[in-house]
Parts: sequence; C-alpha cells; structure tokens
Amino acid sequence: MLKWKQSKKMEGNRRRSHLERHDLLRKIKEFCKSILKDITERRSLSISINQFRNYCKNLDAHCSCSYDFPQGQEILTLEKQCHARRIEQSIVDQAINDICILLQCSRHNINVVSAGKGMVMGWLRFLESGAKFDCINSPNDAHPIPTFVEKVKDIVSTANYILVVEKESVFHRLANDQYCTRNRCIVITGRGYPDISTRRFLRLLIEKLRLPTFCLVDCDPYGFDILTTYRFGSMQMAYDAKFLRIPEMHWLGAFPSDFEKYGLPKNCRLKLTVEDTRKTEAMLHRCYLQREVPHWRSELELMLQSGVKFEIEAFCACSFSFLSEKYIPSKIQEFERLAV
Amino acid sequence: MEDLSKSSLNFFADQQLCSADILSPLEVRARIEVSVINFLKILNSPDPAISDLPLINRKSSNSRVSQGLLTDVSWIFLSHSFCTRSLTKSNAAKAFVRVWKVMETCFQILSQEKRVTQRELFYKLLCDSPEYFTSQLQVNRTIQDVIALLHCSRFSLGIVASSRGLVAGRLMLQEPNQEVIDCSACGSSGYSISGDLSLLEKLDLKTDARQHQHLTHGCLQHAIFQRLTEDFVFNQIPSILITAKGYPDIATRFLLHRLNRAFPDLPILALVDWNPAGLAILCTFKFGSIGMGMEAYRYACNVKWLGLRGDDVQLIPEQSLLPLKPRDLQIARSLMSSEILQENYKEELSLMVHNGQRAEVEALYFHGYDYLGKYIAKKIVQADYI
Repeated sequence: MLKWKQSKKMEGNRRRSHLERHDLLRKIKEFCKSILKDITERRSLSISINQFRNYCKNLDAHCSCSYDFPQGQEILTLEKQCHARRIEQSIVDQAINDICILLQCSRHNINVVSAGKGMVMGWLRFLESGAKFDCINSPNDAHPIPTFVEKVKDIVSTANYILVVEKESVFHRLANDQYCTRNRCIVITGRGYPDISTRRFLRLLIEKLRLPTFCLVDCDPYGFDILTTYRFGSMQMAYDAKFLRIPEMHWLGAFPSDFEKYGLPKNCRLKLTVEDTRKTEAMLHRCYLQREVPHWRSELELMLQSGVKFEIEAFCACSFSFLSEKYIPSKIQEFERLAV
Repeated sequence: MEDLSKSSLNFFADQQLCSADILSPLEVRARIEVSVINFLKILNSPDPAISDLPLINRKSSNSRVSQGLLTDVSWIFLSHSFCTRSLTKSNAAKAFVRVWKVMETCFQILSQEKRVTQRELFYKLLCDSPEYFTSQLQVNRTIQDVIALLHCSRFSLGIVASSRGLVAGRLMLQEPNQEVIDCSACGSSGYSISGDLSLLEKLDLKTDARQHQHLTHGCLQHAIFQRLTEDFVFNQIPSILITAKGYPDIATRFLLHRLNRAFPDLPILALVDWNPAGLAILCTFKFGSIGMGMEAYRYACNVKWLGLRGDDVQLIPEQSLLPLKPRDLQIARSLMSSEILQENYKEELSLMVHNGQRAEVEALYFHGYDYLGKYIAKKIVQADYI
C-alpha cells in the first residue's frame, strides 16, 4: 500500500482551496514512484481507492455514513489480460473521481472543470478574473455564475437572504416580476441539477456573507432530489461532499401541503408516474433524511401517499405574480417568525 | 426559359410572404379587439353566422423558399394558404374555442404589462378553462394558431421563451442607460443573451474587429464556446463567438441577425459537429424554420460552414468516429429533400450518410488542447468555408 496516504490522514480536514500545485505534483510523482517500485520488486500491482458515500439505505439509526471519512476501500488490480474497451465519457469521469480521491483533492485542483450553467441576480457584486459582476445596479438582470469559483473575490452584498430556485423559468418569472427590486436578496438557479461551479459559488457566498439560504423546488421527486443535492451533496461527488454541501439550506417549498393551503385547483396536480413512485420510495430510504431532516421526510411520505405532484408554475393558476407577491414572501415571513 | 421565369418570380417573393409583425402591446390588443368586433358584427348582421377563423397554414406545403438575388441570404417562409378553425365542424369546435381563450389570456397579460412562458400560460388556462385545455402541446399549438390569425409575433403576444444563448469576443454591448459591457472581459462564460427581444433590439453594438482582416462570428456549441473563450481565441483571431447551446432559439438568432446587420463585413462561420443534426442547426441559423415560419425568416443570415466537414474527418482519430443513429438518418433525409439546401451541402450530407459515421468537434482535442484554435485559424486564413 501507499505509505504516504497514512501520514496524510492526520491532515484529512485540510482545506482544499489551499492545496498548492506543487503539492499535487509531488503526490503524483510519489504515487508513480511507488508503482514503479512495485513493478521492479515484482510485486502484484494494486491501487486502493477510498470509497465515500453520502447516504446508505440502512434504516436503523446506526449507519456509519459520514462526510469526512471513507466507508471502505476499492482495490484496483492490473489483470494479465486487459480487454480493450472503448473509452467512454463515463469511464473518464469515474477515473477523474478516483484520481481526486487518491490525491485527496477536488476536481478544480487538477484543472478539470465543466461548462457552468448556473445564473445569479440580486443585490450582489464581485470580481472574477478581472471582470466586474455588478448585479446591484440592475438587481433583476441575470448573470452567469463563473466557472472558476476560486477566482471570485471582493464579494459585496446588501442582501438579507439567498434564494435558490430549481428552474430557470422560475428565475425568469422572478426577474419579470421585479422580485429583487422589492426584496433585498440574491437569487440563484442551477437550472436543474446544480453543477459543481454553482454549488461551490453558493458555498462561497454563504461562507463570506453568512446569509440564510432557502431552496424553492417543484413538488415532485426530482425537485426533492435537487434539494438534497444542494443540502447533502450528490453521491457521485461524495468524496468532495464536505466542500460542496450546504448544511444550512432550508426547504422553502413547494410542499405537498401547500396545494390545499393556497387553494390551487385540483387539475393543476399531476399523477405520480411509476418512475416517480419508484424514485420516491428509494429516496425515503436515505439515512440522512431520518437522521438530519425528519420533517422533510414526512413531506416526502405525504407526496407518496397522495400519489400526486405539482410544479411551481401551477401557482400561475391563481395569478401570474402570485409566486413573487404572495407565496415566497409569506413563506419567508413564516421562517423569520419561527426563528425569532 | 423555365429558370428565367422561376427567377423573375423572386422579385415578387415579398408578396407571397406571410409575415408576423412585431408590434407593441397596444397594437396587439387593438388587433384582438378588431377580431372580436368583426366576429360580433357578422353575428349581428341581417344574415347572422359564426365566422370561421382563417389561419395561415404551417405545413411544408405552404412553405416557400426565397433565394437571395441581390444578397446571398436565402430563407424559408410561409405563404398565404389558409386553414380554418370553425365552430360548426363537430370535432374541431374545441380548437376554435381554444384560439379565443388564448387571445383572451394574452389580452390580460398585455394589459398587465407582463411576460409569461408557455408553461405558465398552460396552468392558467388549465385552471380557467379545464374543459378546453388538457395538455401543454395543445397550448403551444393554439399559440401558433393565434400568431397565424393575428399575424403578430409570439413575443408581441407577451409570451417569452428563455434563451440559452451566450456571446463573447470583440464586442461591446450597451443596454440603454447601463454600463458598456465588454464581451471579451466577461469571464469564461461570456454574456448571456436575454430572451427579451425588445431588450436585444435596444442594444447598442460596437466592435473593434474592423481594423483587422479576418473577422468572424462563430456559431458553436457550449463546451467549444467555453474552451475558445477561456483561451481568448477571439484575441488571436479577432472575432465574436456565439452559441445557442443546441437548437437555436429566436433570441440568439435575433442577436446574430443584428450583429450581421451592424457589421456586414464580418463573415459568419459555423463550427458544428459532423452529423446531420449539426447541419440542421446550421440551416436553422441560415434559413429559418417552418414551425415558426412567419417569424423565423426575418433572422436568416448568410452563415457559412467552416467545419466539421468531409475533409476534416481524416483529422479525427478512428475511435472517436461513432455510428449514425436512426434519428440522424431521418434528419438527413428531410434535409436532402429540402429545395433550399445548396448542392455542396447536399454532397457533404451524402458523404455523412454514405460513411454512416458522425463525430463531435471535441474529438479534435486528440491533437492537443490548443489544436482547435490552430484549426480554426488555418481554415479562416485559407477561407476554407462553404
């Protein structure tokens, strides 16, 4: 096994943003040296990669899932006969994740980035690679979230909270209703499942600004999954979860109970498909729900029992600006009341 | 002789063309009011009748091609063939009522000075008129019916589609009363194109690319756009980069058209994947589409095909060539049968189908991460585009 890995365990919680390029290059060289040593001393080649997971399906309260420590190891060995396989994107993605686990770094440390798709608007100003992003002058104008989050500096904001919305259409609805003019906040959307830059940017904002963060998703299994991706991180990036998750995130809506509460007409609800039901049942088994957010879990159970789901746009049935004028402000007021 | 008569008809192409006007909210409301008044007038006449609604036919049988004579821009447009929505036809009566319901809701939206998406409109109609509206597709079709009736653009009705387009490079944009935005300093994501066509209309556009010789607008897909923007390719090869992240939306096409009008000396070059879908994207930028035929023709631009083309396939490593899917072949067939597609494009398309392979632009990274910039520069310098 690789001896240097054991000594690094003590520094397990070292912040990845401080990882220097030469540290990583040194680790890569040491790794290659140890493999070469194994080859020259005619030992069988094997690489041990830590396995991380965010959650397990174990329903008893004593599972060992954690964000900081691995839950086991996968041993990779070199077989005598290597079947020539077509290199596919998924294989490369897995390899990149394995490399990050081995080198104990994040993707951006080895300069692997993906095309970012998040957007932000509201009472915020910052600099990125010399470009000034000034959302404060025009709080209802959308700006793309920068891909290189580590180059973001000089964050200035007068917002009272951060609102994260699942869908771009909801983001534009808020912009069209001039939501940020009447409400001092920052609105972010990941346009579906948030990519790494969006999640890191959000983390950065919360660390620097210390603002309460709310999440607005559709009342359906995919919305809930996106909510948990923001809050707990995704399984695929579980090794990096402690730098990507947002433990302070609150679920603003939409809840299954909101449908009756706000008097939406029944035909705006859609039936849960077979796929939806399967996904919801699988999500209910996630250990972190019971452990950390049992109230979220009860809402999800309610969704499953009722067999229906609805989108945020359904609020248009009341009026087009119902979302920005009534629903969101009343939900935020409720939070503030409970917090006091 | 036949060619001559065909070409002389082009002088009257404008008369054949049926266009959706871009109007202010007040004008659209006026048109809706006129439709209502006409309907009531006929109902109230000595010989009362429920008038049918005449809609411009959105089928390929009603589509025509305008080959540019004095310019090199061609486009697809819809002509004056009508289909009707009638209350008297038993199974089509609901379609008739749907058109009126959507007009009513659009009237309300315009009065409140709002903009809504097609999805939001769906929920409103589902709630207000559940007997008539059951699906999103129905709502979208009815919106196109209203456009075909009132001859006004979708955006004029207050309905927006969000844009996914981005632009970067040697371009300075200024929204009225705002700061100037330098698209070469927008960071790695570029400037996101708004879905609000009225805002795009008001943008002031400037470029300094005029002093240099080889200037281009490049139409690309997102990941390539990001790569080129990060490498500041637009500084090495003075250019403006634009992407619609897939099938081009009206807003991106609108901006491209505006850029073309503002800087007519800059050629527009497209870099798309080597597959029929890539060519279809290029053709939509170039000629417009039938689906939104009354509006799309306006934004046709003379886009030239830079790559990937048949000659470039030799640069792609064997393992990056993938087989064509059945959907790709379907797209290829419909492109081949289109009369607007020029001969050399059809040749490239037959090569694609004949070899049965497709490749992504990203496959060029096999030769190194800076290869793409060099490939583009070489092609531009050699004017290797069709």
